[in-house]
Amino acid sequence: MTSLYILTRKEYVQMFREFKILWLPLVFMFLGATQPVITYYLPSILAALGGNQGITIDPTMMQQDGAQVMAATLGSQFDQLGIMVIAIAIMGIIQSDKANGMLDFILTRPVKVGSYIGGKLFSNFSFVALSVTFGYFVSYVYVNFLFSNIPFLTMILALGFYLVWVLFMISFTAMISTIFNGQGVIALISIVCLLLLKVISGLHPIIDLVNPAGMSQQAMMVLITGSMDSQLYGNMVITFIWITLTVTISHYWISEKKYHEN
Amino acid sequence: MKLHYGLNDLNEIDWLAVLQVIWPFMMVGFILILVALIDLYRHREVRTNVVLWTIIILFFNTIGPILYFTIGRKGAIHHEVRN
Repeated sequence: MTSLYILTRKEYVQMFREFKILWLPLVFMFLGATQPVITYYLPSILAALGGNQGITIDPTMMQQDGAQVMAATLGSQFDQLGIMVIAIAIMGIIQSDKANGMLDFILTRPVKVGSYIGGKLFSNFSFVALSVTFGYFVSYVYVNFLFSNIPFLTMILALGFYLVWVLFMISFTAMISTIFNGQGVIALISIVCLLLLKVISGLHPIIDLVNPAGMSQQAMMVLITGSMDSQLYGNMVITFIWITLTVTISHYWISEKKYHEN
Repeated sequence: MKLHYGLNDLNEIDWLAVLQVIWPFMMVGFILILVALIDLYRHREVRTNVVLWTIIILFFNTIGPILYFTIGRKGAIHHEVRN
């Protein structure tokens, strides 16, 4: 019964009370199903609504590859609406404790700040990762059903790389949640920063190397090409350095009691 | 472009094939709406803007229930449960 274990369990109880344990997996399943279904029906929707004077799809166009649809699930569903959903779900993790005095209460006990942040990050990351995995598997089943098959190992590998980027999102939002006090400000700053990182990824190889969102780019590359890019490990190491940095900043902020000042 | 579809056009769609794909997809959205509405109804005494939230949950698909769960359940601060 370490304090890390107790704090993690407290987080899970909290998630259960907020129904987070129900809606976050459902939302990601929804997002995962959206991309294959829409891609599959897009030609018939355009045929019904576009007619011969609007947009038409070239009937000789090759049917899309399953891996491409899967990559599009990561790139245009999880990385857009998914980022917002994660940021909104995570925004209160430390802020709500600050607001109702729970943080001060916990710190009067013999609990290390490290295990407090560790419990927060571990519980939330494991839960969000599970939700993302659910959504990803739903997308996988749909893609196998409607498009072509994807090798299972490639899919798991890409998911693993994508989860590194998810871990960065969570530690970043936790840091913003430690520093600022208003929920709206936290949601705004973290969503804007994370979407900005996503937008600048893929512009230049050097920027990609130091950009945590490059991990999502790498996961998509693994899905489409089936092989790993030479930059992947460098990108992963730098992403872990970023994660360590954000955790260190929130650790410093709480242990120095900076949150009392604003 | 055909603007108006008659009822007869509905018969031309292969419903079985469409439903096979769409059914789980709609189910997920439906469960979200249902859970949000049940929670709103059970706590209708303490929530603020009940009618507004009902409209948001029903008509803003998927994003409406999420907004309710994250923002709407903390509506009235003096009723907030301190854990």
